[in-house]
Amino acid sequence: MAAPIVPETESIRKAVSLLNAVAAGRFPRLLSRLLQKLHLKAESSFSEEEEEKLQVAFSLEKQDLHLVLETISFILEQAVYHNLKPAALQQQLQSIHLDQDKAEAFASAWAAAGQDTIEKFRQRVLTPQKLETIGWQLNLQMAESMQAKLKSPRAVLELGVSNEDSKNLKKVFAEFSHQELFEFYNKLETIQAQLDSLT
Amino acid sequence: MAAVGKTMAYGHSESGGGRGGFLGARVPAEVEAMARAVRDVDKETFRRLLKVTVNALEGKDCKESVKLIAESTNLSEEQLAFLISGMYTLLREALRLPLSTFKQEVFKEDLKELRIPEDFIADFSSIVFGNRRPVSEGTAQRSRLPSVQDFKWRVDVAISTSSLARALQPSILMLLKLSDGTAHRFEVPVAKFQELRYNVALILKEMNDLEKRSILKIQD
Repeated sequence: MAAPIVPETESIRKAVSLLNAVAAGRFPRLLSRLLQKLHLKAESSFSEEEEEKLQVAFSLEKQDLHLVLETISFILEQAVYHNLKPAALQQQLQSIHLDQDKAEAFASAWAAAGQDTIEKFRQRVLTPQKLETIGWQLNLQMAESMQAKLKSPRAVLELGVSNEDSKNLKKVFAEFSHQELFEFYNKLETIQAQLDSLT
Repeated sequence: MAAVGKTMAYGHSESGGGRGGFLGARVPAEVEAMARAVRDVDKETFRRLLKVTVNALEGKDCKESVKLIAESTNLSEEQLAFLISGMYTLLREALRLPLSTFKQEVFKEDLKELRIPEDFIADFSSIVFGNRRPVSEGTAQRSRLPSVQDFKWRVDVAISTSSLARALQPSILMLLKLSDGTAHRFEVPVAKFQELRYNVALILKEMNDLEKRSILKIQD
C-alpha cells in the first residue's frame, strides 16, 4: 500500500483515542461543517460560543477539543492534497486505529462534499490581488471643454480588485473609445484562444 | 467669464447673419472690445499678438513675449489685455467646433459682422482652418478617466500547490498600465475572465447599436 497519508505521530494517536471516545451522534455534522470552511485560510471554523457548546457536547476539555478539531482538519487537508477516494480515506483512517463507525462517517462526509472542497482549493490564488467585480457604463459624450459636438460613444469599465490584506475592494476605472475597446477585446480573444488550447 | 452668454446661445445656428454666429447671440465682451481695438493696430503688431495667442492656446508660457510686445509698441497694458484675451476667446471658441460642420465662409462672415479688418480675418481664418491649427496638448484628455495604455497578460497552469498535489488549474495574470501612470497587477480566475469577455462584447454590441441609431445622424 502507498505510504500512509496520515502519519502515526504522538498527537495523532492521542487525537484518535479522543475521537474514538467521542459520541458518534454529532460527528457527521461536525465533519461537514469543517469541510465547508476548510479552504478559508485564517478563519477558525467555530466561534468562542460554539466551541464551548462543542466542549459540552463531546465532553472534551478545551485543549483536547482543539487537538481533535485540528486533527480532523489535517486529515481532510490531506485528503484534498492527494485527492483521495472515500474508500481510500476510510482505509487510511482505519489503519491508524480510528473506529470503523467514525472512519465511515469520514468517508461519507468526504463522498458528499469532497469534490466541492477540492474545487474551492483549486480556485485559491496565491497572488494578493484578484479581480472580483466587473461593472461598466456606456456613455455618449456630447461635448467637453475643448470640443463641442462630439457624439462620441465612450465606455467606462470598473474593475473591482481585492487585496488580501485589506477588506476593501480597489476600484480601477478605465475609459475606452470604440476603437480602444475593440483592441482590448481582441486581446481578450487571444487569451481565450490560449485557454482553449489547454483543454 | 463670458460663459453665461454662451450657454444661452449655444445650439443656435452658426450661419452668420445678424445676431448669432459661432460666438453665440451675445458676443463675449472681450471679443467685442478686441474687435474695436484691433482696428488701430498695425499688421505686424497684430501678427505678433496672434502668435502669442496661439502659443497660449497650446499651453505654452507667454509672459516673456507679451513683455516684449509691450515694450516695443505704444500699447498700454490694458489695451494689450483686451486684445489678447479677445483673440484668445475668439480662437478658442472657433477651435472647439468640428471642421466637418463649421465652414470657413461662415467664420469669415461672422468676423465681418464684428467689423474686424479683412486682413486680420484672413489671418484668423488661416489659424482655424489652415495647417497652423494649434494642437491643444491633449487638454481634451484631461477631462477623461484614464485609458488603458498597456495591457500585458499571461496564462499559467498551476500543476501542483501546497494544497493540491495535482491542481492543473489555469489562471490568468493581468498587468494593466493606465494613462495616469498607475499600474494594476491582478489575477483573474477563469470564470471571472469569461464574465469580463462577455461584458466587453456586450458593450461593443451596444456601441454598434448606438452608432447606428438616428440620434447620431442628426445634422448639426
